[in-house]
Amino acid sequence: MNIVSVGVNHKTAPIEIRERISLSEVQAKEFLNELISSGIAQEAMVLSTCNRTELYVVPGMPEVTGHYLKEYLIAYQNAEKDVRPEHFFNRFYCNTARHLFEVSSAIDSLVLGEGQILGQVKNAYRIAVEVQSAGILITRLCHTAFSVAKKVKTNTRIMEGAVSVSYAAVELAQKIFSNLSMKKILLVGAGETGELAAKHMFQKNARNITITNRTISKAETLAEELGTNQVLPFETFREHLHDFDIIITAVSTKDYAIKAPEMHQAMQKRRLKPVIILDLGLPRNVDPEISRLQNMFLKDIDDLKHIIDKNLEMRRSELPKVNSIIDEELVGFGQWINTLKVRPTIVDLQSKFLEIKEKELERYRHKVSEEELRRMERLSDRILKKILHHPIKMLKAPVDTADNIPSKVNLVRNIFDLEEQNQLNK
Amino acid sequence: MENAVINNTLLASLTLAVSTLYVITTGLYAADFFKGPDLAKTWKQPALILTIVAHIAFIGFLTAPYGYRLGYSSYTIMSMVSLTLAVIYMFIEFTTKTDKTGFFVLSFASGAEILSTIFISLASNEGPAFNGLGIGIHLFSAIFSFSAIAIAGLYSFLYLLLFRQIKKNSYGVLFENLPNLEVLERLTQHAVAFGFFFLTLSIAGGAAGLLMSNESINIFDPKLIGLFIIWMLYGTSIFIRKFLGWDTQHQAYLLIILFVFITLLVMLMSIYSPTFHSVGTEGILAPGRI
Repeated sequence: MNIVSVGVNHKTAPIEIRERISLSEVQAKEFLNELISSGIAQEAMVLSTCNRTELYVVPGMPEVTGHYLKEYLIAYQNAEKDVRPEHFFNRFYCNTARHLFEVSSAIDSLVLGEGQILGQVKNAYRIAVEVQSAGILITRLCHTAFSVAKKVKTNTRIMEGAVSVSYAAVELAQKIFSNLSMKKILLVGAGETGELAAKHMFQKNARNITITNRTISKAETLAEELGTNQVLPFETFREHLHDFDIIITAVSTKDYAIKAPEMHQAMQKRRLKPVIILDLGLPRNVDPEISRLQNMFLKDIDDLKHIIDKNLEMRRSELPKVNSIIDEELVGFGQWINTLKVRPTIVDLQSKFLEIKEKELERYRHKVSEEELRRMERLSDRILKKILHHPIKMLKAPVDTADNIPSKVNLVRNIFDLEEQNQLNK
Repeated sequence: MENAVINNTLLASLTLAVSTLYVITTGLYAADFFKGPDLAKTWKQPALILTIVAHIAFIGFLTAPYGYRLGYSSYTIMSMVSLTLAVIYMFIEFTTKTDKTGFFVLSFASGAEILSTIFISLASNEGPAFNGLGIGIHLFSAIFSFSAIAIAGLYSFLYLLLFRQIKKNSYGVLFENLPNLEVLERLTQHAVAFGFFFLTLSIAGGAAGLLMSNESINIFDPKLIGLFIIWMLYGTSIFIRKFLGWDTQHQAYLLIILFVFITLLVMLMSIYSPTFHSVGTEGILAPGRI
């Protein structure tokens, strides 16, 4: 039994190629059905996200190779003009497992350690289960991948720390204030950046959020979305600066939206209680002179990038730990795959002995009472169990390489005179 | 001259063991703070508990022959400072779930315990034991107030450190591990309030003890003048924000200066006056201790 994976991702192909190959959930289901019904695959799964479209297949025919699957997918998407097999990666057997483990633990992601990919892998598996294209191998592969991802999340710091500007802003605010729910926050600008920052603040229990925007209706819409009805007119928000502990600005403006004299006044009014201003605008919205004020933390995008760089560096330093977890799980997965190869021999062995038992018991069926026959049956079951224990244990024992399996299997088959099997060499 | 600790093998071994435990525990907290092995994370808290238990046992053995009354010597007081620091820190760690300031507090506790061990080997005896409620309150309050002053100073230092790191965009190990500025500020305020309370209690207890012993009080004693100045400054630091409009940063500077000043004062007094107070002994000391 082999398992092949092919696909395009952010490492192998640009976005326009990834877009051509991408499959929606409905398309993925149709594609999987076609692979299974045509006999190309015994088992299959499609993982399609914005950064990758990957196919995991247990081939149903000898001619189904990685190259075959690439061509098949390109043809299925009618993308022969734009997409070439060179845009794909190709993995086999344990390398396929390693790849899925790396994907699930987010070390193969565009943003190292991002938190969405595990959910996307789980979703891909759910689709495969729904269309009944996930068999024993895909199921075991996915469950091991989920376990790897869980271990990585628990035992390493690969997913810790902010790696986006808006998250970094929240992380910084939390290093100054202990409880964001007790702090008054002013959001200047209800655009995409401001909205994202406000939502991250909301996720960290910030509830006292006031929004101001040139177009007041946009501010009202965002305020409603965040469950706060606090909106300030853009023309007058500067008069209320002293009320706020955290000010986030993300507006497009030629002049500074907050200038030093008005902030100086605000600081006097709030008796120098600390304030953090997160200037997410480009060009900057806040006069840099403000950072000289006492107890004032003014941070712009470049400042926040320092946090992001530090967190990414920390995540990169966790890679050896993640790889070690993957290696450990890969060994276990490889050993489990090897047990699949001995499974037919174990089944044959058990069948043969059961057959012998049945035949022998049959000879006594009419010579002894029902009660005696049941006792004989129980006795023979116990004897069989003891006889078979060691050979089965020996077959299931982990091996260093898959090459050792045929010799073990042949030995058992010869000793117990089992019929030749063909699956072994497949 | 008799030295109860040096001449007693068990006590001498326990003194060394307690100091060693403090160093090990501080090392584990340091390793955890600076992202050392996982072993440090797992073992630092049990090590802290073990250190405290061993220290209490040591104090018990030391004072058992005298009815569990503390000696009025610099080394017992330094040792008690170290113990109270460790206990207060453990309380902070358990209640606030913040375990990243342990390295700083326990470093100071270790230093005090090592000094105490050194003083033990230098001292001719463990000093007179306190007797009477007033002097007992004085001694224990003094120990607790000094520990609170130390903690206020240490947390003020950490506050300033983190404040500067954030200002300078230096997001290193301190930024990552220290509690946020607001928590550090709150811990400092609590420590100042406790420190002032115990300092006041210590002065009141000492005065009551002396009055009961019919000793004459020399109000020009440099120690008393020093203590009064410390009490005034510490009391001022509580209200300085409200009435003078100081911010946490300036208050932190004041608390660090006070901490350094008091530490130097205690050390000087420990070195030049090993029995700590040179006041008369009649009425306030346990019989048989001098």
